[in-house]
Amino acid sequence: MSKGMFEAMTFSVRRTVVVATATAALLGGCAMHDTGATEVWDPIEVPNRFIFSINRAVDIIAIRPVAVVYRDWMPVPAKKGIHNVLENLGEPVTMINEVVQGDPSRAATTLARFLVNSTLGLAGLFDVATSLGLTKTKEGAGNTVGYYAGVEPENGGFYLVLPLAGPSNARDAAGLMADYAVDPFRILTYALNIDAIYQGTRYGMTVVDIRTRTMFALDDLEKNSVDYYAALRSAYTQQRADLIRQKREKTDSRGELDRRDNLALVR
Amino acid sequence: MKLLATRRLVLGAAAVALAALSAIPAMAADSPAQLIQGVADEVIQIVKQAKGPDREAAIQRILTTHFDMEFMGRAALGTSWPQQWDVSTPPERGRYLTAVASAEAHAYSERFGQYAGQTLAVGRVVPRPNGVSLVESKLNQSEGQPISIQWEVRDTGQGLRITDVKVEGVSMVMTRRSDFNSYIQGHGGQVEALIQELEKRAKN
Repeated sequence: MSKGMFEAMTFSVRRTVVVATATAALLGGCAMHDTGATEVWDPIEVPNRFIFSINRAVDIIAIRPVAVVYRDWMPVPAKKGIHNVLENLGEPVTMINEVVQGDPSRAATTLARFLVNSTLGLAGLFDVATSLGLTKTKEGAGNTVGYYAGVEPENGGFYLVLPLAGPSNARDAAGLMADYAVDPFRILTYALNIDAIYQGTRYGMTVVDIRTRTMFALDDLEKNSVDYYAALRSAYTQQRADLIRQKREKTDSRGELDRRDNLALVR
Repeated sequence: MKLLATRRLVLGAAAVALAALSAIPAMAADSPAQLIQGVADEVIQIVKQAKGPDREAAIQRILTTHFDMEFMGRAALGTSWPQQWDVSTPPERGRYLTAVASAEAHAYSERFGQYAGQTLAVGRVVPRPNGVSLVESKLNQSEGQPISIQWEVRDTGQGLRITDVKVEGVSMVMTRRSDFNSYIQGHGGQVEALIQELEKRAKN
C-alpha cells in the first residue's frame, strides 16, 4: 500500500466522520461517542453475508461441538498448557511487529518471554515469564498497519468475512498474510519439510482454543442481536480499534485525548 | 405443603431484602465511581439471591434507576430515531423504549447467570469536557485475565446515570446501533419492524 493511498484514505475518512457526525447532530440531536466512525464500511456485504452463513453452518456442524467438548471435558491445566504453547509459538511474530512499530524495548521483553518460556517453560507449556514480571502482549501486522495509518483505527479498509477465520477487514486480512509470511516457525518447518503436519496441528488447535474462548461472547451476541452479522461486524471493528488505540495511546496519550476532545467539539 | 410455604416465605423475605438493598446505594451515588461500585455490588447481590424472572425483574429495576435507558435507546437507533419522536410522543416511541429496556434486562440477566465469583475493581475516572465521565474498571475472574470494562456516566437532570458500557473496547450501544440499523434497513427502513421483532423476542 502506498503512502498516497493512506493520505487519501485519511482525508476521505476525516471528511466522512465530520459529515456523518454533523448529519447525526442535525437529524438525531445526539451523536455521542468518542469513537469516530459511525458505521463500518462494508461495500461487499452480499458476498460477506454469504461466506458468513457458510461459516456459521460449518461452525454449528463441526467447530462448535468440538469446542464444547474441549471446554467441558479437557482438564483446565491441559487447556491452559495448550493455550500457552500456541501463544508461545506466536511470540516471534509479535516481536517482529514490535520492532516494526518502533518499540525495541517492548520487542526485547517479548523476546525474553519467548526464550524463558521455550526453555524453563518447557516449550511454552508453562508461562513462567509472566510470573517473572514479563507481561504478555500480542501484536500482528494488522495492528502495525493500524498503528501507523493516520486514520481512525475503526477504519481498517473494507470489511471482509474470511472463510473459516470469520470477521476481518482489508487491514487485518493483509496483516494475517504478512504475519504468516514472516513467521519464523513456518519458515523453519518448511525448510525441514514438516510444515504440513506442523501447520495442521497448530492451526487446528488454534481454532479449537479460540472458539472455546469466544464461545460465551459469541453466543451472547447471537442471542441478543436482531442482525447477528451486523452486530458481529460492529463488535469486531470496535475491538480491533480498541487494541490499536491502546498501542497509540501508550506512545501519545496527550495527543489522543486532545483528538477525542476535538471530535467531541465537532458533535 | 409446609415446605412449600416456608420456601415462599424465604423467597418473600429475600425479595424484601433485595428491594431494601437496591434502595440504599441509589441514594449514595454522588460520584461516578461510587455509582459504578454501587451498581456492581447490587448486581452481585441480585445474582446471588434471585433466579429466573425474579432476577430479570431486579435487573430491569437497576437498568431503570441507574441507566439512562431513554438516552441509550435513542443512541441505539442513531439516525433512525424518527424526528417526530422529539416533538411528540406517539405510542411507538414508548413501545420502542420499553422493548429495548426489556431486551437489555433479558440480556444482562442471562449474562450474569454465568456468575462465578468475579469482582469488579473500579479504576480511574476520566472526566471529559463534554460532560461525560469515563469510569474504567476491571472485572477480575477466578481464572484467566481480567476483563476491562469502561462505563460512560453522565449527569442527567435527576442525577448520574450510566449511558454506555464498553467491554474490552466494545460498546454495547454502538453494537446495538449497528445491529438495529442493519435490521431496519433490511426491513424497508421501518422502525416498526424492529419494534415488533423486539416485542416478539421479549415474549419468549
